[in-house]
Amino acid sequence: MESERGGRKIVNSIGDYFRNIPAKTKSFFQKQWTKVKSFGAGIADFFAQADWKVLLSLLFCGAGNIAYGQYAKGIMFLLLEILFIVFMALLGGEYLVGLFTLGTKESDPWSGVVGDNSVVLMLMGILTVFIIICFLLLYLSSLRSALSARLTKLKGQKPRTFIEDVASLTGRKFPYVALFVPLLGVMVFSVIPIVMMILVAFTNFGGEIDVPTDLVDYVGFDNFATIFGATNIGTTFFKIFGWNIAWAFLSTFINYFLGLGLALLLSKKCVKGSAFWRAFPILAYAIPGFITLIAFKFMFSTMGPINYYLSDAHMHDENIVDFLGLDSTWWARGIGLFVNTWLTVPTTMLLATGILSNIQKDLYEAADIDGASKRKQFFDITLPYVIFATTPTLISQFIGNFNNFGTFYFLRGGIVSEGYFRASDTDLLINWLYNLSISNDYYGIGAAISLLIFIITSAISLLVYVRSGSYKKEDTYR
Amino acid sequence: MKGKTKKIIDILITYCLLIVVAFVFLFPCLWLILASFSSTGNLYSIPGFFPESYSFQSFITLFTDTAMYNYPKWLLNTLIIAICSCVFSTILVILTAYVISRFEFKARRPLMKGALVLGMFPSFMSMTIIYILMTQFQLINNLFGLIAIYSCTAPMGYLVQKGFFDTIPTSIYEAARIDGANNVRVFRTITLPLAKPMIVYTALTSFTWPWSDFVLPKILLKNRDNWTVAVGLMSLGETEFARFAAGAVFIAVPIVVLYFLLVKNMVSGLTSGAVKG
Repeated sequence: MESERGGRKIVNSIGDYFRNIPAKTKSFFQKQWTKVKSFGAGIADFFAQADWKVLLSLLFCGAGNIAYGQYAKGIMFLLLEILFIVFMALLGGEYLVGLFTLGTKESDPWSGVVGDNSVVLMLMGILTVFIIICFLLLYLSSLRSALSARLTKLKGQKPRTFIEDVASLTGRKFPYVALFVPLLGVMVFSVIPIVMMILVAFTNFGGEIDVPTDLVDYVGFDNFATIFGATNIGTTFFKIFGWNIAWAFLSTFINYFLGLGLALLLSKKCVKGSAFWRAFPILAYAIPGFITLIAFKFMFSTMGPINYYLSDAHMHDENIVDFLGLDSTWWARGIGLFVNTWLTVPTTMLLATGILSNIQKDLYEAADIDGASKRKQFFDITLPYVIFATTPTLISQFIGNFNNFGTFYFLRGGIVSEGYFRASDTDLLINWLYNLSISNDYYGIGAAISLLIFIITSAISLLVYVRSGSYKKEDTYR
Repeated sequence: MKGKTKKIIDILITYCLLIVVAFVFLFPCLWLILASFSSTGNLYSIPGFFPESYSFQSFITLFTDTAMYNYPKWLLNTLIIAICSCVFSTILVILTAYVISRFEFKARRPLMKGALVLGMFPSFMSMTIIYILMTQFQLINNLFGLIAIYSCTAPMGYLVQKGFFDTIPTSIYEAARIDGANNVRVFRTITLPLAKPMIVYTALTSFTWPWSDFVLPKILLKNRDNWTVAVGLMSLGETEFARFAAGAVFIAVPIVVLYFLLVKNMVSGLTSGAVKG
């Protein structure tokens, strides 16, 4: 009954989510509009308060600071501006054009002409855009700093000295200083690659077209048209997508309830030595996943132990079942579910165990006084609490399972089923993505599929994000 | 009387279930451990689940017969990658989580939202482009590339640690600041000692991730001598089954021991991640 109520709640909240879309979009744009308006007001303020010394900063960054006696700071602004202008004049302009054309000079191995490298041009173009954004931010901050120097002087105080500015790096400005390295790392290894991959999704990169021998071109939505079209790729996409959804629901459901069940079983009062019993799932949790997956592949292989018994010590080889072979779709899917359960149930169990130990004991004492049976206590206190506390992880588990790469990569890697384009009938979208972009160099299509995966997972997370308003009522169980 | 029989049946069922669970989880591990001590190396020649005769042969070949499968080298590579990225990621993650949890600054909310959105992109997306770029710039087969990727992308998983820092009361910090300590000093003398369990958890997870990751090294390390253990073990076929088992046992044991020693930290890390989301 509890789960039925929960189910209806989820359906309702999904409905609310879609019903709220227009209102939310409207409020989003209203917010942006207020931002634009306040930015405009800021500009007006700037011109109202600035004198010619500050206005000089519009042309030469830092000029205003120098005029108000902040020499070191002003010179640094000025140097950065000069550096930026030199960069743009020598390289940046070319890179920006390259970002749009992706190269114009085709290479010709016969005459030894080295052509443009589209990928490098794209990367440099993106970097240039980032540099321009950084410069704009710097420009704005130089204006702001010049104005604040003037305003402090008008108040009759001395503008901040360079040494005071440096000191503020461990004080007021500390967050920015501390986050600089992490941010830079995420920028280089995550943001720029993702931006680039989004661009690649709209190019014909991959397949026949290889860099640096060929030039890559933007092709608009062609890759998406191929994926949703009536081609071999299109039918493969829908087949894989259907199985992927089913897989994500099934495996999450099984893992969640088995893990929860196991935690509840271990927390029963009659279980002596629960640390001992808990050790077995923890053992499974600790072993690196790839070892488990390869081991299970060996276990179910035609030469493996299970087939040894089926074939009566290889006396009756006709009895051998090729569990993970080309034609054994449902065997392989079942084994995949089992292996994935083996791998992830311990995580859910540990999680639920931690949560169970957090339930306040007085809730049970109160229930005892009220004369509630153990059964009633379980359904009215334990279960709702655990479900409440684990729901956020349920979603991340769902997304994890939706993008579960390892299971079928190890169990059935390299198999191409009939009617599928470079994929097997157990492959999930993420496996297909790997086959297409890493193994077979279909970068454009691969990037388009990654974008689709992103849209699916972010839609699911957004649903939860919106729902998480109800999670703010955390006090219910505290 | 009736209640008592019911209770006994309940206990019986509970223990039966527990034994089944223990068996299901233990059996594959036991199978692998025994196989690593088998005297024949081939999967086919082991009769059923358990070998006929036992020896240390597979462990000896694992470390001496390195012509085709250079396990000691793989182990060294894995260790270098795991230790370096463990150190760098732990520093970066703790720093990020601490700053985002403790300070109010303008870019805070946008940064958190950005991390949320970035996390939704499939990780292959950036990996593919990193692979393409590294081939273009001839940076493939480089262990330091891997270390950089592991450490630099680690701060995106700051949420668990942030949840932990959120639970430290602000009054402690204010008291320190009144005493005239600056941010760096507050971090060193107050936050770090308090956050010890969280640092252990972070270090452990950021060590085991490169230790057991196979996707990134598989994509970026093409040269046999640069392989990590994961990539190397993946290349072992059914005829080398005992060697695989021995190699697997050898790298699983330290991790398993670590987990058992630190299981309390793991659980608290997992749960704080769960409740704070």
